[in-house]
Amino acid sequence: MTDPTPTMPTNYPTAKGFCLTSAFWMVVATSMGLLGATELIAPDLTENVGWLVFGRIRPIHVNLVLFGFVTPGLLAAAFYYVPKLLRTELYSEKLGVITVLAWNFTMVFVVVSLALGYTQGREYAEMIWPIDMLIVGGFSLVFVNLIMTVARRKEPILYVSVWYVCAGIVLTAVTFCLGNVIWRPNTGSLVGIPDAILLWFYGHNVFGLLLTPLSAGVAYYVIPRACRAPLYSHTLSLFGFWSLLVVYTHIGTHHLLQVPVPTWLKVISIVDSVAMVIPVMAFLINIWYTAKGKLGEIHADIGAKFVFTGTIMYFFVSIQGSMMALPDVQRVTHFNNWVVAHAHVGVLGFAGMIALGGIYYILPRITGRPLYSRFLADFQYWMILIGVIGFTVVLTIVGLIQGNAWLNGETVYRVLPEMHVYYITRASLGLMIFSSALMGLYNIVRSIFFNTGEIS
Amino acid sequence: MNMTPRTVVVGSLLILGVIVFMVVVVPYATRIQAPSDIFRSRTSQEADGRSIYIANGCVYCHSQSIRSIDWGLGAERIAQAGDYIQDKPILLGSERTGPDLSQEGGEHPDDWHMAHFINPRYTRPLSIMPAFAFLGTEDIKKLTTYAQSLGLKNSDQRVERQQFWKKEAIEAYEKGPEANVKWLHETVPEGWRNVPNPYPTTEAGLARGHKIYQDFCLGCHSPIGDGMGPAQPYVYPPPLNFTILKGRGISGGILYYQIMNGITGTAMPYFKRELESEKIWDVGNYVAVNFINQTDADTEPKGIDAAYEP
Ligand code: HEC
Ligand code: HEC
Ligand code: HEM
Repeated sequence: MTDPTPTMPTNYPTAKGFCLTSAFWMVVATSMGLLGATELIAPDLTENVGWLVFGRIRPIHVNLVLFGFVTPGLLAAAFYYVPKLLRTELYSEKLGVITVLAWNFTMVFVVVSLALGYTQGREYAEMIWPIDMLIVGGFSLVFVNLIMTVARRKEPILYVSVWYVCAGIVLTAVTFCLGNVIWRPNTGSLVGIPDAILLWFYGHNVFGLLLTPLSAGVAYYVIPRACRAPLYSHTLSLFGFWSLLVVYTHIGTHHLLQVPVPTWLKVISIVDSVAMVIPVMAFLINIWYTAKGKLGEIHADIGAKFVFTGTIMYFFVSIQGSMMALPDVQRVTHFNNWVVAHAHVGVLGFAGMIALGGIYYILPRITGRPLYSRFLADFQYWMILIGVIGFTVVLTIVGLIQGNAWLNGETVYRVLPEMHVYYITRASLGLMIFSSALMGLYNIVRSIFFNTGEIS
Repeated sequence: MNMTPRTVVVGSLLILGVIVFMVVVVPYATRIQAPSDIFRSRTSQEADGRSIYIANGCVYCHSQSIRSIDWGLGAERIAQAGDYIQDKPILLGSERTGPDLSQEGGEHPDDWHMAHFINPRYTRPLSIMPAFAFLGTEDIKKLTTYAQSLGLKNSDQRVERQQFWKKEAIEAYEKGPEANVKWLHETVPEGWRNVPNPYPTTEAGLARGHKIYQDFCLGCHSPIGDGMGPAQPYVYPPPLNFTILKGRGISGGILYYQIMNGITGTAMPYFKRELESEKIWDVGNYVAVNFINQTDADTEPKGIDAAYEP
């Protein structure tokens, strides 16, 4: 495990720790994804190795991506920009380093428990109660550190990035407790249909209240900085922030349009999934107009390039998401790889890209030296970009094949051979993304520890 | 608007509170608690099997909720809220890499499940489901009990039917090939027994039959049709050795009927959902030509030739 080396007497140990955490778990998470994809091509590859069975690998992959790779990556940037924006020091680097260490231990527990089959069987809420506690603890530590930093600020005005990260962390801590039904440690669930409603309220908010606000925070920081331009509109920031909280939080039922939940709840979720265009465009217009005419500057900074690409992905995933919430569309897209494509554009293309962008943007600034290798970072950028777009194309095609075949009355079994060749392409793209994660880990470790570049 | 820390934190928590009330608490308070027509509680063995189902992530590949637009497995019964009133957690699933399992109970007899869980390729050559032999026989049995309970009261009825015919099939099998074949063919309605395969034997037809056989049948009946496929050790009565059918009154119609409808009580599944009519005739003739070495293809009575025949 990459120890975040708490004793390093340098600046920003917390931010560095989260960079390393993110880079390391990205490698593990993508290797799990690659293994899962391979098992769908060659199911007997891991025959009789219980802890590597697909049904255990998949939740490890998903949870590590969310809580091991993307969240720490976005937090790394936050631990840099929050003190910066407030013209102060982080409340406690010591607490920060403890948080990083605890976070890594938690991830180890996540992997081990899920591999051994200790799971509550609810998507994104699989982890058993003690681990839920650790995760809530982790978010609480982060929140305390950030809010205390806010309290000691020297800059009276809170910039929009700070709103996003503070609200994102506190709301995630609350929805995580709700979604994991932590008052029922044994099952971690409600009973029957309400359990599904609560689960998807929470599951949707993992993206809506954690990944999206934290990513927006990074974008709001990095893009104006990299362009050396003021933010386009304060009003749009305000509007985007509050409308995101209002609209995103109550559309989780669009995951349940085809099951017996109350119709009024479905109607709300469909209408407001379409209304998601409002917060999404408020954010994007603000960012894009800030960058208008400054794409050269963005191109020049590899971090900003990742972040800006992430915002474009956000546009696509959100427009697609609004479409997918329409019942007529979902007749074809639900239950198949179309949704998997959407999930990857969202989590890797949007939030993952921005997490990496944040890391690459702050690394030179927290180490005081240039990146170990700009070339490797650029290479990683292209591999991930091609990987995500490739995933989207391939998985969308498979999804359409599956969805239309089923609608047409073909059985699941008959469609399996039609998917095979796409699954091979998908695993190849996965190999690419995994390699890029290795590259990123190497680059980030070298940038932090063995960086011989000029001190700037 | 002045965004103080308090505005941000308290404001967003207030919004969240209101929304939780609206989209979680209200649906909870107004939830349906009445059991549906098929509802019953699970036995403890079934509940154990369900825990194994959860521990091994079956839910990532199998949904348990039938929609009005579904055709395949279980499509006879559209899901109702009252089916789930004791499920914690509820296992609706979000992806169908494998078929929906809400009505899986009684679809197959227990021995089919044993072979399938040991390695799904044994009964379903193209399957991409993981092998679960590592669970051990005990846990596979529990898992099977759970699978057989899916569909609740509806499944009980089907399981009972499987068990009734299982006894008959075993009895017939143990009396020897002659009696077994006789029993098998008596289960086919009379009108079907004398129907020859209406299509002529052609190279193209046999090639298609071969492909279908490989994709659907070979794990049980084996590549040479002697019933010694990899599933054989787990199913009883064992997969039919086709060679014993020779000279025992076999016909295209019997083959067709058995492949279409399956033989309830035995591991032999029905294929009417997966194979269209012509494909069933093709694979039937492939079996007749290659393994039984006796085909009635294209013999009288034939009726009017199909429009597309040369
Ligand atoms: C990688 C995805 C995957 C996982 C994980 C998985 N399955 Fe499957 N399952 C499939 C596929 C694909 C099929 C269809 C082909 C077949 O019958 O094997 C299937 C078929 C089945 C069937 C047969 C349905 C029928 O009657 O035709 C049962 C029963 C079943 N699975 C149960 C389970 C159980 C129980 C688990 C967990 C222990 C599980 N599956 C895990 C993919 C999966
Ligand atoms: C899961 C195992 C399994 C699979 C798969 C399977 N069979 Fe069978 N089959 C059996 C068993 C078991 C029997 C009945 C044995 C008995 O009762 O003696 C049987 C019986 C039959 C019979 C009955 C013959 C008669 O004279 O009544 C035919 C025909 C047949 N199978 C053809 C097929 C074809 C064609 C396929 C593929 C499309 C197929 N089977 C797939 C297990 C299987
Ligand atoms: C306006 C924005 C969005 C809307 C309206 C939307 C809508 C949807 C819908 C309707 C589904 C369910 C599809 C189905 O099951 O048939 C879905 C699934 C999903 N979405 Fe989005 N989406 C949006 C943005 C995002 C973003 C930004 C992310 C990631 C950061 C994301 C990640 C996911 C994931 C991971 C799933 C899969 C959930 C599962 O496991 O089934 N979405 N989305």
